[in-house]
Amino acid sequence: MSDYQVVIIGGGATGVGILRDLSMRGISALLLEQGDLAHGTSSRFHGLLHSGARYAVKDPVSATECIAENLILKKIAAHCISDTGGWFVQMQEDDSEFEEQWIQGCTQARIPIREISPSEAYEKEPLMSKEVLRVFEVPDATVDGFKLVWANAKSAKRYGGDFKTYHYVEKLILEDKRIIGVAARNLLNGEELIVRCEVVVNAAGAWASQIAGSIGVSLDVICDKGTLLAFNQRLFQRVINRLHPPSDGDIFVPHETITILGTTSEIVGTPQENSPTEAEVKKLLAVGGTMLPNLQGHRIIRAFAGVRPLHREDSEVPGAAEEGREVSRTFVLIDHELQDGVRGLISIVGGKFTTYRLMAEKVSDWVAQELGNTTPCRTAGENLSPEISETTRKKASHFLPSAAAEKMLERLGEDAEDVLMKIQNDPRKGQMLCECEMVSVAEVEKVASDENTHNLADIRRKTRLGMGTCQGAFCTYRALPLLWQEKGKYDPLRDELKRFINQRWKGIRPVLWGQQLRETELTRAIYASILEPNKNQE
Amino acid sequence: MWDGIIVGGGLAGLLAGIRASERGKRILIISEGVGSLTYSSGVMDFGDVEQLVNQEKHPYSLLGERAVRSGIEYFQTLFPEYQENWGASPQVLTPLGTPRKAGIVPKGLNAGALQDAQRIVLVVPEGLKDFFPEVIKSNLERSYPRSIVVLYPLRIAKFEPWHELGKSVAGMDYAKYWRSVQGIKLLNDFLDRLAQEMASEFYEANVIQGGSAIQRNAGNGKSVVVFPGLVTSFSKALEKVIAEAPFPVVELTAFPPSASGHTLYEGLKRRFRGLGGELLVGSGVKHVERHGNRCHKVIIQSKGKDTAFTSHSFILATGGIFGGGIEVTPEVVWERAFGLPLFIPTAWTSAEFLGEQPYARIGLEVDGELRPFDSQSNQVILENVRVVGRLLAHWDPWVEHCGGGVSLASGWFAGEKI
Repeated sequence: MSDYQVVIIGGGATGVGILRDLSMRGISALLLEQGDLAHGTSSRFHGLLHSGARYAVKDPVSATECIAENLILKKIAAHCISDTGGWFVQMQEDDSEFEEQWIQGCTQARIPIREISPSEAYEKEPLMSKEVLRVFEVPDATVDGFKLVWANAKSAKRYGGDFKTYHYVEKLILEDKRIIGVAARNLLNGEELIVRCEVVVNAAGAWASQIAGSIGVSLDVICDKGTLLAFNQRLFQRVINRLHPPSDGDIFVPHETITILGTTSEIVGTPQENSPTEAEVKKLLAVGGTMLPNLQGHRIIRAFAGVRPLHREDSEVPGAAEEGREVSRTFVLIDHELQDGVRGLISIVGGKFTTYRLMAEKVSDWVAQELGNTTPCRTAGENLSPEISETTRKKASHFLPSAAAEKMLERLGEDAEDVLMKIQNDPRKGQMLCECEMVSVAEVEKVASDENTHNLADIRRKTRLGMGTCQGAFCTYRALPLLWQEKGKYDPLRDELKRFINQRWKGIRPVLWGQQLRETELTRAIYASILEPNKNQE
Repeated sequence: MWDGIIVGGGLAGLLAGIRASERGKRILIISEGVGSLTYSSGVMDFGDVEQLVNQEKHPYSLLGERAVRSGIEYFQTLFPEYQENWGASPQVLTPLGTPRKAGIVPKGLNAGALQDAQRIVLVVPEGLKDFFPEVIKSNLERSYPRSIVVLYPLRIAKFEPWHELGKSVAGMDYAKYWRSVQGIKLLNDFLDRLAQEMASEFYEANVIQGGSAIQRNAGNGKSVVVFPGLVTSFSKALEKVIAEAPFPVVELTAFPPSASGHTLYEGLKRRFRGLGGELLVGSGVKHVERHGNRCHKVIIQSKGKDTAFTSHSFILATGGIFGGGIEVTPEVVWERAFGLPLFIPTAWTSAEFLGEQPYARIGLEVDGELRPFDSQSNQVILENVRVVGRLLAHWDPWVEHCGGGVSLASGWFAGEKI
């Protein structure tokens, strides 16, 4: 007898996508994640919802998949997506031969493109370099990774799916070359959890080879580190790509009030190697600077890096492994029975955030067949989140400033009702705890008390607390009493505050100049006196 | 022709200006902004002076312990609110209610009375921003295990409309209110009422949270009131009200911005102007003219036009990275007012945010007279310019806790020499 039919390992976009898909088909599934949902690659990217145009020349399969998924996600995940549109911009030094191939590639992949005149482009994007030759519009958009992952998880839950965060899978359990369960460790209390199941889906992304390795199965995943920069303002109104063979620092992606510039590409040994370096930052600035003159003069909030899991074997090009970008970004599904003689284990490797749903569908089809379930996939047709009622919207705009209300509704969806109740009962809870990202006291209180919230970083991922200009200088302090209320749930406060501030510091270190450096001095001043009161005088 | 021009109007610059003016010099202070005192808690920290005077290149070691002490004592003669003798290390409460040692503090912030309090009454002003009574209560209970801590609410009519809207009241707003005529009267009434209630049996019913029966009995002894959002320094009237209360009142240091720091800034400016000093706020130095190793003229841009000022000597008090004296870009790091060469550490940061950060020791190197000094050629760069405060190299206020000491000592010293 099994506890669940399926255990999914990995709480990134692919994992939660699979959980939702299986749950909608009536297959019982549990997802195990070693950290918080979306703590890895699914939140450490530029947040670009590809139109596919970026892959039009090199990778026509990806291009076709992207445009199809792009259109689906704009419908089913509208609240996580901002339909900004995107441009491909050809600069003086760019090869015109590539441009011809690109136009042809887009046509073949059925990606709608439209040329617009440089003069119109300058008018719409005044900060853009005036050295552009041609500009093409494509249906790129921006997507919030945290929101999309949580929306999938919540939707799955409504269909009976389960997930456990901070559960590290130590090994897969085999019996006669057949998977019968997994052994996991609860990282918060150290307890062991044994789950019996019929099928295990390894969707651990950059960590997938570690999971397969636990039963001696080899899975060759390349860890491709990509560093990105977050600027303090919306530099462009739409996604801006460079019309040339994809390289470092050639995509600008606007999100709300900030802009992300990415991405570098460097093969690293393990998924833990996600610290951005100053050299990468300078490289990004140099390339980005050709599309936006005086880029360095704009305030950078932080740098961050994610590790993309690429599958080595699907690249036939000799030596391709040395250069991450040359490896195909299309995903592969590995049935370990065919490859290694292990029944009931499937790994999903590679792919892109944009195609997470398609990947989940393919995996779920395989799982359904294995289990003899014939219910078809329905994830493309049903919205991730239920509509927010008009009453809730009205109430939100009554209790909160309109921009803050909108953000809160998008972040919390149906949970927004609880937040509004709190504010109704005590208007003081409508105050902004995080002034940069407009997060109210009530919202932080609600999220802090959530069963899946265990530390300040979890609160940050669910609310954007500490992700704005001040990088936690003020809001970390203000979140303190709310953590205090949840007695016993959080670490001793001093340790928790220090850990959170050090996490933020990791991303500030490589961009430590200008206004952000000034902000850092203020943050040190505040916390040096609160947290380290005159050690040498005690 | 001025006797001295001081560029920068923060703590060090203003103190230098006051001392020099007191000595009969004609002083002009040019300040681009309003300094960073409003961000400070108003508490002066000196750090471990004995150790730091022996730390190579630290401003304390250049000035020597006597000058450090003289600077601090001079400041105390100007502002007697800052009591305490040299080396006494009074305690203050952090914004979270944890006691910490300080150098010198305004009388109202001195938390010494809490040591033998049997009952601590924490006043809870309605809607006060960045103030967490439950956390403070818990910290007070841990730090003063022999005391019981009770919360006592305070609402004043003036802020009622704010409360209704759920709008918070900043500490600066409360502090400003208490300094008004109406506020002083109301504070007097509030403390009277508190005193009566504390003496009466109705007391227990009116506090938000009391202790157990046994603790309540203990509470009949000595009481101390902790009062956030109140700043008594530099107000004779407020000091009088507090002095007349039948219990000690301890102010709480504020999360920035801080009314205590702001009050000190206003006090320094008043003092400087009172001595005939001229203060020009809102203009930065655009250009400096030199003759050999002397500076004689600064050109500032004000209201769209250039104005030149000549002087016998200059003090550079523009602050560090936070104050705006030093600008850092991905390519260059420069001293903004005089363009003097900076000491730039080779390593820039370390992983532990609150630990040693090499970049924080950036600044101008000086000789024993605080004149900019080129340590490679072993020469004074400008002999009639002195550097004070955060712009000096080789110190870090957040690791060494000596921010007040360096500013007071260097400011006083430069003011003596001008």
